[in-house]
Amino acid sequence: MHELEFYSMVDATYLWFPPADDRESIGIDLSNSAYDPDLGQRVYDRVLASTRKAEELGFDGALIFEQHNHPLALFGNALTGAAWLAGETEGIRIAAVGPIANAYLSPVRLAEEIALVDMVSGGRLTVGLPVGIGVQYHAQGVTNPAHARSRYREAVALLHRIWTEDGPFAWEGDHFHIPYVNVWPKPRQQPHPPVFIPAAGSRESLELAAKYGFTYQAILVPRPVLLRNCETFRELCRQSGYEADPKQITAVLEVHVSESDREAQREIEHHELWGVQNVFRFPFHESFPPGHVSMASLRGMMAGGYRSSDPSKLTWKEMIDSGSVIAGSPETVRERLAEVTGEMGAGRVIVTEPWSAPTWLQHKSITLLAEEVMPHFRPKGDGRAVWQREPRAGYRTATEFVARAPRYAGMPVVNTPDGRRLELYGEDGLTTNPMEEAQP
Amino acid sequence: MDVAYRRQGAGEPILHLHGVGMTRRWLPFHEALSQYGDLVAPEHPGFGDTPLPDWLEGFDDLVLHYAELADLLDLGPLHLVGHSFGGWIAAEIAAFYPERLRSLTLIAPLGLRVPGHTPTDIFRMSRERYLDLCLNGRADAYADQFDEGDETLFQSYAELTAFAKVAWNPRYDHKLDRRLGRVRCPAQVIAAQEDRILPRAHADRYAEILGVAAVATVAGKDGPTGHGLIAQEAERTAEQVATLIGGR
Repeated sequence: MHELEFYSMVDATYLWFPPADDRESIGIDLSNSAYDPDLGQRVYDRVLASTRKAEELGFDGALIFEQHNHPLALFGNALTGAAWLAGETEGIRIAAVGPIANAYLSPVRLAEEIALVDMVSGGRLTVGLPVGIGVQYHAQGVTNPAHARSRYREAVALLHRIWTEDGPFAWEGDHFHIPYVNVWPKPRQQPHPPVFIPAAGSRESLELAAKYGFTYQAILVPRPVLLRNCETFRELCRQSGYEADPKQITAVLEVHVSESDREAQREIEHHELWGVQNVFRFPFHESFPPGHVSMASLRGMMAGGYRSSDPSKLTWKEMIDSGSVIAGSPETVRERLAEVTGEMGAGRVIVTEPWSAPTWLQHKSITLLAEEVMPHFRPKGDGRAVWQREPRAGYRTATEFVARAPRYAGMPVVNTPDGRRLELYGEDGLTTNPMEEAQP
Repeated sequence: MDVAYRRQGAGEPILHLHGVGMTRRWLPFHEALSQYGDLVAPEHPGFGDTPLPDWLEGFDDLVLHYAELADLLDLGPLHLVGHSFGGWIAAEIAAFYPERLRSLTLIAPLGLRVPGHTPTDIFRMSRERYLDLCLNGRADAYADQFDEGDETLFQSYAELTAFAKVAWNPRYDHKLDRRLGRVRCPAQVIAAQEDRILPRAHADRYAEILGVAAVATVAGKDGPTGHGLIAQEAERTAEQVATLIGGR
């Protein structure tokens, strides 16, 4: 079987919100009066437990995602969540998908946060840069959806320049004018952490991912459209002068493993249905505020792309047949996963469980996945996760730091008022270099 | 300039600025209003058959666009009439170019911040719902003034996008309160009887700022008029506009 990296999507959904029948949409004005801090705490506890579980099981990464103004993900800032999870784990990669660049007044602030989390996590950050789902633009107060694509593109271009060019430089754009771009710190991973671009398949998003060598995180759309998007992405990479690495295509799949196919259905069917009936019910006009998609994309969508049919009408059989849900015995999941990711040419997969599934059930499923499925997609005879196989960024011990860190020559001199010249860390100085004393 | 417009009538120039929707046709309201002067009815950038230019970012762009169009068509001092979103644009033009106006008529105009009287959020509804609210539940009776056939979804998305470019956030121009003090020409404000999009307080506030004694209300023949009063009562609304313009 082909190699796959496995990311476990860690869900931070607050489930105790009114059913879909009582409202038009989630994500704009579903009242936060339904939020109870005890129930909220339960969500964060689950996030931590699932992240630790994923690390213990040998997943390559754990992924959290950012949403705004609704209960589907209690991370208004995925980077803040990633900082927390990095502090609670040792080695697993933490994917923060992701800061909505348009929710930031300036991409400089975003660059600072990404670099900070990457530094303190020991270079374990993967950052997703979504343009943001349409409903969010109603409640953000920062960006106009009609300018969102252009502002987003400019923000990503600036971010990329921050990562690849030393400051200070001036940025004179349509949306941002920053006379002195000069971001401290820089990321631990050089030149920048891996970037996922979650995309339903608009050509604009695929072009952007291809241009910068980012990863196309393939949001679920009808299968034929998805496969066409993957082909388009590879072609766009070729046009940018390189052949896409399979890891640049990441499949997002609902995966549930159990003892048998029948048991898997019994455990998860009702949760899958709850999700499609309650969570994905955005009326068109709220999903796509004006200008959020180009006219070309809109026409494409209406011709059979992104959610042109009502997901709340889906049946179990349809979800299984289309490959949007992969559920069953380890053997079934192995075969189906190989088939679905193989068709896409994907080298990474983000596995999700239905958001309403209890924590114990999610842990049972990912345990079976880790023990019965994942080893088949790892290098032969080596079941280690990517973070175990590849050298971790940065040093681990004080001796390693001293051995590899170049001495900083410019700083340590001071002129005293009475005309002496002292080296800050020299023989005449009163202190030793605090950096040399630092314990990692 | 690449502007779609319709023009008919004789006499002093009247520039009519439309609201969201009701493009790509010669409306009964146009016909009625053209009885009172040389009516020019352009379609805004990004609306109807006028392409969406990449320079459209704010109301200042629209103000300059219409100043340029008026020059190009050699309109001279003109009677400016605007409905809904077009009323907002008209108010901006009046603030920047008061000397270009013979008169100013605002019909159910957007554009002001009136605390406690937030307009209905038209970005959060289907087109069907929008028309239902505009026409107070009688949209079917005026379908010929709105319908775009198979292109309805795309056309309305394109026009809402052009509208959002300038009016998503903020959804008012709080500077109008002061700037409209520059207007010296005769002005009038026309409201519907039961506007389900824009609270009546907006018309009242415009009248107050412009020093207009009373808001004129156009009554409906088959039920109270709504935000789409120029469709519901084309002739009566045109007659009310004409009380200020004169003509005929």
